[in-house]
Amino acid sequence: MSGKSFLVDLTKCTACRGCQIACKQWKKLPGEKTKNTGTHQNPPDFSYNTLRVVRFSEKEIDGQMQWFFTPDQCRHCLEAPCKTATNDPEAILIDEQTGAVVYTAKTAKEDFETVRGICPYDVPRMDKKTKLISKCDMCNDRVKAGKRPACVTSCPTGTMNFGDRDDMLKLAEKRLAEAKKKHPKAQLIDAESVRVIFLTANEPNLYSKTMMADASTSAPGQRLLNRQEFLAGITTPLKNILG
Amino acid sequence: MTNHWIDLKNSDCILIMGSNAAENHPISFKWVTRAQEKGATLIHVDPRFTRTSAKSDIYAPLRSGSDLAFLGGLINYIITKDLIFKDYVVNYTNASFIVGKDYDFKDGMFSGYDAATRKYDKSKWAFEMDANGAPKRDNTLQDPRCVYQLMKKHYSRYSIKNAVDMTGTPEAKLLQVYDAYAATGKPNKAGTVMYAMGWTQHTVGVQNIRSMSMVQMLLGNMGVAGGGVNALRGESNVQGSTDQALLFHIIPGYLPTPNTGDKELADYLKRITPVSKDPKSLNWKKNQPKYAVSLIKSFYKDAEPAKGFDMLPKLDAGKDYSWLTLFDHMLKGQFKGFFAWGMNPAVSGANSNKTREALTKLDWMVNVNIYDNETGSFWNGPGMNPKKIKTEVFMLPCCVSVEKEGSISNSGRWMQWRYQGPKPLGESRADGEIIYELAMKLRELYKKEGGAFPDPIMGMNWEDMGNGHEFDAHKTAKLINGYYLKDVEEKQPDGSIKVYKKGTQVAAFPALKDDGSTCSGNWIYCGSYVGPDPKDNRAAKRSKDQTPAQANIGLFPNWSWAWPVNRRIIYNRASTDLTGKPYAPEKAILAWDATGKKWDIDVVDGGGAPGAIHPFIMQQHGMAAFYGPGLNDGPFPEYYEPLDCPVSAHPYSKVLHNPTALQFEGEKHSVCDPRYPFVCTTYRVTEHWQTGLQTRWQAWLLEAEPQMFCEMSEELAALRGIKNGEKVWLENQRGKLWAVAIVTKRFKPFVVQGQVIHEVGIPWHFGWRFPKDGGDAANLLSPSVGDPNTGIPETKAFMVNVRKA
Amino acid sequence: MTLSRRGFLKLSAAATLSTAFSGIGFAMKPATVDRITMLKPEWSKQTTTVCCYCAVGCGLIVNTALAGTQRAINIEGDPDHPINEGALCAKGASIYQLAEGNPGQPNPRLTKVMYRKPYGTKWEAKSWDWALERIAKNIKRDRDASFATKNAKGQTVNRCEGLASVGSAAMDNEECWAYQAFLRSLGLTYIEHQARI
Repeated sequence: MSGKSFLVDLTKCTACRGCQIACKQWKKLPGEKTKNTGTHQNPPDFSYNTLRVVRFSEKEIDGQMQWFFTPDQCRHCLEAPCKTATNDPEAILIDEQTGAVVYTAKTAKEDFETVRGICPYDVPRMDKKTKLISKCDMCNDRVKAGKRPACVTSCPTGTMNFGDRDDMLKLAEKRLAEAKKKHPKAQLIDAESVRVIFLTANEPNLYSKTMMADASTSAPGQRLLNRQEFLAGITTPLKNILG
Repeated sequence: MTNHWIDLKNSDCILIMGSNAAENHPISFKWVTRAQEKGATLIHVDPRFTRTSAKSDIYAPLRSGSDLAFLGGLINYIITKDLIFKDYVVNYTNASFIVGKDYDFKDGMFSGYDAATRKYDKSKWAFEMDANGAPKRDNTLQDPRCVYQLMKKHYSRYSIKNAVDMTGTPEAKLLQVYDAYAATGKPNKAGTVMYAMGWTQHTVGVQNIRSMSMVQMLLGNMGVAGGGVNALRGESNVQGSTDQALLFHIIPGYLPTPNTGDKELADYLKRITPVSKDPKSLNWKKNQPKYAVSLIKSFYKDAEPAKGFDMLPKLDAGKDYSWLTLFDHMLKGQFKGFFAWGMNPAVSGANSNKTREALTKLDWMVNVNIYDNETGSFWNGPGMNPKKIKTEVFMLPCCVSVEKEGSISNSGRWMQWRYQGPKPLGESRADGEIIYELAMKLRELYKKEGGAFPDPIMGMNWEDMGNGHEFDAHKTAKLINGYYLKDVEEKQPDGSIKVYKKGTQVAAFPALKDDGSTCSGNWIYCGSYVGPDPKDNRAAKRSKDQTPAQANIGLFPNWSWAWPVNRRIIYNRASTDLTGKPYAPEKAILAWDATGKKWDIDVVDGGGAPGAIHPFIMQQHGMAAFYGPGLNDGPFPEYYEPLDCPVSAHPYSKVLHNPTALQFEGEKHSVCDPRYPFVCTTYRVTEHWQTGLQTRWQAWLLEAEPQMFCEMSEELAALRGIKNGEKVWLENQRGKLWAVAIVTKRFKPFVVQGQVIHEVGIPWHFGWRFPKDGGDAANLLSPSVGDPNTGIPETKAFMVNVRKA
Repeated sequence: MTLSRRGFLKLSAAATLSTAFSGIGFAMKPATVDRITMLKPEWSKQTTTVCCYCAVGCGLIVNTALAGTQRAINIEGDPDHPINEGALCAKGASIYQLAEGNPGQPNPRLTKVMYRKPYGTKWEAKSWDWALERIAKNIKRDRDASFATKNAKGQTVNRCEGLASVGSAAMDNEECWAYQAFLRSLGLTYIEHQARI
């Protein structure tokens, strides 16, 4: 079963943050107290109550202003490193049909730093009071009921796409080819190893530090295992499809 | 909008200027993106690089307040390079009309100015008429007194150099925009413009929009798929509330408000009946008496129309009663009582300190709202001493949109019905309920006690808006549509006679009468509710049925209903040539069926065979107007600086400011004032709405944009020693405001007439009431000056100082 | 269905974790009726609406609980609507919160008539009847005192310029029409609203 996947076409994202709030609406997650610290990116990062956050990154390239937006979320790795970091097999579940990586109430008994530290994209967050760990669950309940995830439903521009993995991989190829006409450096991010595939218009590091799984971003000692090592072993024949 | 949201996908070039659509109308980008996918060029012209700019193919910066220099330059560019769509210009516009001898323009002023009254005598700008009373024309466009030649001369001053000098737009960018946009002058190409408050909130607001309309006429972009002049309206029903005339100068359906010049109904009807002697001019407004009488009958259905007219309040002819004037008069103590209904003027009105002080002069105020706000609680605000403020305040809780039933009209003129989900929370009530009950209480009082001229209060047609106790949205919608007050016989096209029984809903506005036999609360909505049942409510239609030709251009004629008569693109006749052939057959919005002798696809403007009538049927002479002799500040748009500005001279005029701008005595403005050296503009963010009254109370939105901020360039920050994220003060002669500095490469200094001019930008969504650390209103700094035609305040460009807090 | 209808309304953050797996009979037993079930007609009424913010006019679907609080339980984009096809921006996506408040906290909306007397320093809650009667009396007193049948030039004006109104584009068409009819029946000339600013 190849399950489900997202294609997140960042060439089309306007950072309207509809997805950021549609996520909270569906899950009834409370808003947080924040401050303006000189940026529009707010909440500043993931939290137990903020499972997706739109990241804003301003860069000037060859004298041209560019503003890169990333509606960031759990990538639902095909072989989820976080699951290997837990003791209880029911703390993190992989839905066989969809491939969603879902955290359960049993995460409260796991070591949060280990679970977070192993994530190639620094996604999981813990509730200080209950010790529960949370992140995007692919709106698995909606998906099983035949609905699209809340973030995908809310997206106006065609940035967020969701469907059977094979279809999404085909769409990724098509969109990449289209994007390259305007953006020669366009690329797909970690497509072989994750279910949330980002299509960037330019180098991934222009978007955010955690756009791409990369060993260089994890300082020695902070991460239990090299992120790249986790993903290296799970490359599938998809690479051939993507050329 | 002349067009509608989905139609954006049909465009070949989208100019977003005077708006920030990706942030403030985010779902428009569904259709903008579709256009781009098909190869359209997206252009954003804005002082600041925004989320819209980030998606654009061309971004051109321009100094706030200089839009007309930019657009005047574009007009000149199109004319001098002869990139016009000539057939369109000759056949469908007033370019060929001959202007009378009294018109003149010299040193920045048009003829007919009276310095004492600061007004023009518009009779000086009239057209020359032929023996039959129709405008004289020269279809070769060569007569030196024809509109085209006068326009060419007027805009010859708007050179590239002058445009660059005033706007601060780099020349290469300016030319890139001009080239890309002017390319839509080809008959099968369409360019569109998406604008909003960035164009209206200026002392030249109306002329900004007129100048773009002229560009669209030169290029043949009006009335076509993917074209038009599209105002992105900012409130879900600001289209509808304007249609229903919650404004001093109009009554429902854009009919002029009666004034002291109209002694009786006949005078009024004469005033609103334009005459055209051109047999091809449909001159639709000649029907206005039918709409006016039907409107009067919807108010007072038992009164004779003349008596009904008598009961309507009359303005003093020529006097202004608009927003800024209203608050100026409030400050002077004119009003005892005031309704701030679903509004928060303490934040939304220009010059907030003036507005807030004005509220202290009232005896009482009724504030209807969803949340506590800066207006209802003004007496408790910064600098106020409640013990010294007399104003009695009633803060009435209204319910939210999902808790009531009724219709709203979007920017594309779609009237859409909403249903009730949950019931109103707590003791909150629908606005309609509150209005209705208050009216009933007042009527009881007048019945019991009598009083000044009780007739209009006692006679108002409340029975058609409810049951005597409760408001009924369906009944009111049926009244707005209108119905027959008597049995009426109508001759049918086949010669037979059909009788419409008293009480029957009127099918469409051509059936309205001026003899009192029909009523209609708003003629442009006539056709929206055409029978007794909810199924006759066209606003509630949800069918996606469409023909292949309709599907091709994204037209959904069976989803909701659009005024007028379900026409989705207005002036659509101009999309075809004089024989009815579409200029752009691959995206035709009209097709003449010669066999069936009818038009297909959209509902045609005017009717009749191709070429039978001029396409711009709401214009007296049927032609789109390059030359507009009816406006208060001139028949051609002329560039003037904002009243607060950073330059002392105008390179191609001796007049720096709009000589007719709405101003108030004793209020000072900064022109090159070293104390206030920076241009300041105001804007909105996706996550908040208007004064923030609703959105600041919502944690999901507040967490995304929690506090007042001030965006500025790295250069200005360095000049003032400000670091990103630090608190700053903004101040000018009107007020003072703190904000968190966002120091960004997205703002750049402008070079204007060789000088470096810095600009900063602030959102206007914050207010002191909530959250406590959120900041206060941007309007504390904005001036109470306005456009001479609309009175809209100049809140987009004024001068401030910025310093570290 | 073994749970009480009331039970499902008390969704907690913990339910977020469990509902993701409901329907596949896995380890977690939902403590409450899950969100998907709540959308079914036996649990909630479905109505369509149009966004109350900008004038794009996006369609939304509102689900309102049939029992218990009888409040909205989910509001999201209407996929059938031809303009937005289910999409919503940040504000549109938050309309649930406009109606119901921040999850887990008191709803900050005004739910009672509030009154501030002249020179008063605080708000007092009042009944609708009391407030509307008092407002009607104020209107009548000041209208009668300031009503003019003629202006200084002796022209018929039949107007009241001692009262003024601003509002509102936030009302429905039918409400706007009723409101302007109300104001014009009083004789007001100072009638303005959002469209002017």
